[in-house]
Amino acid sequence: MSAGRAAPAGPAWTIETQRVDAREWRDTCLHAAEGGERFLGLFGAARQAGGLEVRAVFASTHGQRIVVCTPERHRVDTLVDALPAAAWHEREAHDLYGVDFDGHEPLRPLLAHDRPLADWTVAARGRDVHQIAVGPIHAGVIESGHFRFHVVGERILHLDVQLFYKRRGLERAAVGQPLADGLAYAQRACAACAVANSVAYAQACESALGLAPGRETRRGRTLLLELERTYNHLHDLSAICAGVGFAPGTMAYAALKERVQRINAQLTGHRFLFGTVAVGRSDLSIDGPAASGARAELRTIRDEHITTWRQLQFVVSLQERLEGVGVLSREHAERLGAVGPAARAAGVRRDARTESPHLWYPGFEPLEPPLTTGDVASRMAIRAAELQQSLGLLDELLAHPLSSGTTGSIGRDHAMGVGIVESPRGETVCLLERDGANVRALHLRTASYANWPVVAHTVPGNLVPDFPLINKSFELCYACVDR
Amino acid sequence: MRRASLALRHVDAGSCNGCEHELTAATNPYYDLQQYGLNLVASPRHADVLLVTGAITTRMATALRIAYDAMPEPRLVAALGDCALGCGLLGEQTDLAGPLESLLPVDIRIPGCPPTPAAIADALLCALEPGRGLAPASASAVRAVR
Repeated sequence: MSAGRAAPAGPAWTIETQRVDAREWRDTCLHAAEGGERFLGLFGAARQAGGLEVRAVFASTHGQRIVVCTPERHRVDTLVDALPAAAWHEREAHDLYGVDFDGHEPLRPLLAHDRPLADWTVAARGRDVHQIAVGPIHAGVIESGHFRFHVVGERILHLDVQLFYKRRGLERAAVGQPLADGLAYAQRACAACAVANSVAYAQACESALGLAPGRETRRGRTLLLELERTYNHLHDLSAICAGVGFAPGTMAYAALKERVQRINAQLTGHRFLFGTVAVGRSDLSIDGPAASGARAELRTIRDEHITTWRQLQFVVSLQERLEGVGVLSREHAERLGAVGPAARAAGVRRDARTESPHLWYPGFEPLEPPLTTGDVASRMAIRAAELQQSLGLLDELLAHPLSSGTTGSIGRDHAMGVGIVESPRGETVCLLERDGANVRALHLRTASYANWPVVAHTVPGNLVPDFPLINKSFELCYACVDR
Repeated sequence: MRRASLALRHVDAGSCNGCEHELTAATNPYYDLQQYGLNLVASPRHADVLLVTGAITTRMATALRIAYDAMPEPRLVAALGDCALGCGLLGEQTDLAGPLESLLPVDIRIPGCPPTPAAIADALLCALEPGRGLAPASASAVRAVR
């Protein structure tokens, strides 16, 4: 963690921690949101002697605001009526820490699996209405989670989602660990988002320590993030074809994904890029021949993607399944706090890469989405387009060798820091509280966490056999949510 | 005699999704598990092998047991990945019921974090060999142990 020339060229994020009492909690949070600051998450935390704390994170273009409050007799006012994106957060803080949110009614259990069905599902009644229960074990090679479809025949009226079967308690287990070691808990939350979660964690630690990454650290992390996005988008295109049962598309994109994971292994020694991110520095170095070899292979992959994608446009039986299915409107995407490709395909032009002073995205602009219909077709099309964009970014990043990098001091340190990264699935946030050089609290709000309630909202009106396809068009992680 | 095929049923009991990605990759055109008669099936009722990933969370332990009990004999259990094998576990002890060996008899061990598709394919191919796993010669022995 050397000082000196390591400070970033652009303005670094600023961070503001605001302590309020329980009566001011709601107004302070809503005032931030009304002022245009984006809600990034709400978390409970245990304090000494049975005490509790709630924290909400908001983002503006120049930094983050953390609103911190001690509930009065375990109660604070809800934010959910004004900020529906806070719904799962409040339910989680209630289940884990016993915080009651006045006005959030009914406050349904989210993590507590021992409650009667009526407590966590919405009652749907009427002639021929019945439920289909699916999971936690699914029929394919899929992560575990439970769905309750309320249906008439094949038509879905409502979906209740019960996740957290994979809860490993990673955030609590990280408490007390040295900051450098805590990274492993964020990384192992999810293999497919390992880089995004690790970089968000490293950024949060560095933000709390008053550090900012230098040029090579920023370049290295950006390279890793774009490699991760590339293999994930290839995976998702394969998965959407699988959701339709179109095997040639599934296999073509599975083969391209394999080739990118082999590049990952060649450049970093790991197919999922594990162990490549560190707090306060970057150890990744890539020499000229390795960089140009990877660059040449990625150009071939780009060409094959373009050819494959063009061929898919002429497969009528595939295209017919995608259009008008699982529609997310722009209004609902905004209101529910949808993130990532799913939000952009609904017309929300937001991409955390636009405002990433701690990464390497000079002049980055979110793509003009090929479609903004908010359906499965639009979510597939934006991945195809962003895949090309990422391959273009990788082409620039790999034009030069990469050296290990440092971070430099940029100002005073804080008790809490925030990291924000655009993962393959959207904006991922890490809030870290430190106790000296150790983790005091770790909170991850992954893009999947933000988008799961959106999936449930998108499903009603569609047919049961289209659910796997809609689900794959969001392609959210369960591990990232359950933690 | 070499056994010609094995039906595989996967259960995610608390993984990071890495093992799932690599198990799926083992069916891509580079590895093509299906060519060896190794097929992923939709139900434990159809399965010879239960492929278990993850640290076995307390919330998945019951579902895992139900899936195992649903399998016809003879049956094998494979621990897929370091979490299922109980190595390098991360997490809160109160949330974890694993490792797998403490809950079910483990016949096939596939180490790695995650194991590569090639390693998964190799380990499963071994189970097809005579005298290993569920090859006809050992099927009665498997039954006798229980």
